[in-house]
Amino acid sequence: MDLFDEDVGNISQPSPIALVEAKRERRQPRNQSKPASHEGNAKWLHAHYDPYSTLYTFSSCIALADLHGDGDNKLIIANLGTGKYDMKLKVYKGTTLMTENTIIDLPTAVCTFFMDTHDPRTPAVAVASGPYIYVYKNLRPYFKFTLPPLDVNPVEQDLWNQAKEDKIDVQVLKEMLESLRADGSEGTLTVRSLRFLMLDPEDMPTFANLHKHSPLKRQTVITCMTTLKKSHSEEDAISCLVIGTESKDIYILDPEAFTVLTKMVLPSVPVFLDVTGLYDVEFRIVVSCRNGNIYSLKKGSKAPKYSIELSSQPVGLQRMGKNVVVGCMDQTLQCYTTKGKRLWVLTLPANVMTMELMDYKSRGFKAIMVALDNCEVHVYNEKYLVNTIKTEDIVTGMKFGRFGREDGALVMTTKGGGLIVKILKRNSVFEEKDSRPGPPAAQNQKLNIPKKTKLFVDQTMRERENAVTMHRMFQRDLYRLRLDAARSYVKALETSMTPMSADPLEPLKLSATVNGIGPSFKLTVNLQNTSSATPSINLLITFQYDEKLYQLQRSSIKVPLLVPGLNYAFQTLVECISDKAIADTIKVFVLRKGKSMPIITGNINMPVSEAQVVV
Amino acid sequence: MGFFDTLARWLGMKKKEVNVICVGLDNSGKTTIINQLKPQNAQQSDIVPTIGFTVEKFASASLSFTVFDMSGQGRYRNLWEHYYKDAQAIIFVIDSSDKLRMVVAKDELEQLLNNQDILSKRIPILFYANKMDMKESLSAVKVSQMMGLETIKDKPWHICASNAITGEGLPEGVEWVTDQIRSMKK
Repeated sequence: MDLFDEDVGNISQPSPIALVEAKRERRQPRNQSKPASHEGNAKWLHAHYDPYSTLYTFSSCIALADLHGDGDNKLIIANLGTGKYDMKLKVYKGTTLMTENTIIDLPTAVCTFFMDTHDPRTPAVAVASGPYIYVYKNLRPYFKFTLPPLDVNPVEQDLWNQAKEDKIDVQVLKEMLESLRADGSEGTLTVRSLRFLMLDPEDMPTFANLHKHSPLKRQTVITCMTTLKKSHSEEDAISCLVIGTESKDIYILDPEAFTVLTKMVLPSVPVFLDVTGLYDVEFRIVVSCRNGNIYSLKKGSKAPKYSIELSSQPVGLQRMGKNVVVGCMDQTLQCYTTKGKRLWVLTLPANVMTMELMDYKSRGFKAIMVALDNCEVHVYNEKYLVNTIKTEDIVTGMKFGRFGREDGALVMTTKGGGLIVKILKRNSVFEEKDSRPGPPAAQNQKLNIPKKTKLFVDQTMRERENAVTMHRMFQRDLYRLRLDAARSYVKALETSMTPMSADPLEPLKLSATVNGIGPSFKLTVNLQNTSSATPSINLLITFQYDEKLYQLQRSSIKVPLLVPGLNYAFQTLVECISDKAIADTIKVFVLRKGKSMPIITGNINMPVSEAQVVV
Repeated sequence: MGFFDTLARWLGMKKKEVNVICVGLDNSGKTTIINQLKPQNAQQSDIVPTIGFTVEKFASASLSFTVFDMSGQGRYRNLWEHYYKDAQAIIFVIDSSDKLRMVVAKDELEQLLNNQDILSKRIPILFYANKMDMKESLSAVKVSQMMGLETIKDKPWHICASNAITGEGLPEGVEWVTDQIRSMKK
C-alpha cells in the first residue's frame, strides 16, 4: 500500500476510487499482454475492480438491498475475514464502504427481508452465524434469535453431572466421553464435550473445572438460510426466514414474533436451499444436502417426498422456473425437474466455484451464471452458453441484481479478496442459442419415436420369460457355427484352397488382380516366395474356368525359379465370350510338376463384362 | 425571415431561439438543473423522476433556449436519439458522486457520439459534473478523465462542476453554450 500512496499523493481528492484507478494503471502492462481481460466482453461494462478490498466471502453471504428506502441499493457482505478475526458485516454504497459491524462468529448466510409493514419500507438484514440469527434494522443490531436447543445425550449429561459432583475425575470423564464418541454418537455430543476432547491432556482439568458448573446445552449450527414470502408476493412483502441446520432440520421462522412456524426433517445436512411460493398458500423447498442428494419439500410435508441422487457433490443450486440446475464437483452442470427427472447434463471446462441466478426482470431474461476456477463466469440460458465473462481472478462469490441505481449489476468477490462490479449494457442482447462451437442444434432435437407396438411388447415379454432357453439356443447355434467354420477351414487346408501355402516346404504367397472393363480383361497373378533362403523351382500356374464364359490366352504358365522375397507377376489375357451379363470365378492353381494336388489355390471373382463395342 | 424579425433581434427586443437536448443517467439532476435555470417564478418546488421527456424554456442574455429534458431511466434512454436531429447543443449531466455508474454514463455518451445525427455535426456538448456538494463527489477533472472526454476531438465541449440545488456553476455552462452557438452562427 505504501508504494501506491506515493503515486496518488498528488491527486487532489485521494478517494478510494482514485486509489483503485492508480492501481489499475499500474496493472496495465499485464492487461495489455492479454487483451481479453475485460474489453473482450461487449455485453458488460466494467464498473469497478478493487483487487485489495480484502473480502473473503461466498455467494450466500452477499446481498443487495435498498436499506434506506431511497432507491439506491446497497451491497451487504458478511466478510468471513480470516475465520477468527475481522469477521464483519460490510455495507457498500456504490463502491465506497459505508458501515461495518463486527460479527462475533463466522457468518454462514446473509438475507435481507421485510419484517413489518411500517413506512418507509426498509428491509432488515439477517446474518446467520453459529446457532444464532442476528437481525439488523437500519444497520443497527435489533434482535438475536437462538435456535431451539436439542436434547442432550443422557449418558453425556450423567457424566458431566458426576464430574460436577466430583464423583469421577477428569481422566475417567475423558475416557467415557471418548467411548461415547467412538460408538458413533459423535454428532449428538455437545460442543463442550467435543471441545474438551480436542484439548491437550494438561489443559483438560482447567477446562472441566471452568465449565462443569454451567448446565449442559446442545445446540446446532445454521448451515444455510433464505427467505420465503409470507402471504403476498410483492417485492416488499413480509418474508419468513427459512433456515437449514447441522441437525438435519429445516425451520421456517415467523418474521415478527421470531417463533418457529414449521419444522421439517431431512435425511442429511442441508447445504443449499431454494424456496418458491408463499408460506400461507403453497411453497416448495428444494434442498441439496451433504450426502449428494437433492430433496424437495412441500407445504405440509414433514419429510421429503422426492429425492434426486447426484453423480457428485453439489457446489451450487439454482432454480429456473420449474427446474433445478445444479453444479457438481465433477465439472458438470445438471438440470432436473422438481420431481427428479434429469433433463440435461453439460460438461464444463473447469471446476465450478459458485452459481447465481441472473434474473434480469426489465428484459424478462433469466439465466444461470456459473463461476469456474479458470477465471471465467459462464452464462447459461437453458443449456446454451450465451456469454462468457473473463475475470481477473477466480470468482468465489457472486450476486446479480440491482446495485446502486442500476438493475443489471453483477457483484463478484474473488479468491484473492478482490471486488468486481460489472454492469450489463443497456442494449446488450443475449442470443437464445449456443455461442460455443459444437454439434449442430439439430442433433439435440428429439426424434419422434413411435409408440411401442403390441408386437414389440409381446416380443419383450417372450424374451423376458424364455430368457434361459433363448440363451441356450443361441449358444448351441454359436457352437455349431464355430464347428462348421473349423471344418471348412480344415478342408481348405487339406485341399490347399487358400492363397497362402500351408506346407512349410513350399512357402508361397499368391495374389491376383483383374484389370479392364471387359470383354477383354488382363489377369495378373503375383507370386512370392516367402521363405528366407530356399528358392522354389518346377512350378506351374494353371487356371480352372467355365469354358462357355471365358477364353484364356494362356491356360498354363511355366513359373521360373522363384528367388525368395521377390514378387513375380504373371499375366494373361481373359476374353469374356458370353454376351449375357454374367460373371463367374476363375480359380488359379499353383502346381508342382508331377503332382496333382495344388500347392495353393486362389479364387478370382471376375467382374461383369461390359458389352462389346463395335466400332 | 422578415425584416421586422431582423430589426427586432438587432435592437435586442426578440431573442434568437435554440433547441437544446438535456440527457444523462437517471438521478443525475437534469430536471433540477433545468428547473434552476428557469425564471424564478416558473420554478417548481419538488422534482420527481421524469417520465419520457418534458419541454422547458428559459433564456440567457442573448438566446432563448427550448430544452428537451429527457428521462434518464434505462427504459426511456432509447428515446434520446429521436431528438438529436433538431438539437443545436447537448447538455450531458453526470452525477459526479456515482462512481459506480460513471462507466454507464461513458457508455451512453459513446452511443450518443456514434449516432448518425451527431457524428456529422459540429455540435457543442456541455457536461455538468453535478452534485459537487456531495462529500464523495469527484472533481470535474477526474470526471472528464473517467468519461474519456479528451478523446472528443471534432466537437467543442466544456465541463463544469455544478450544484443544481443551489445553482452553483450553472450560469458558467450556459454562458459557454451561448458563446458557442453565437460563434457558430458567424
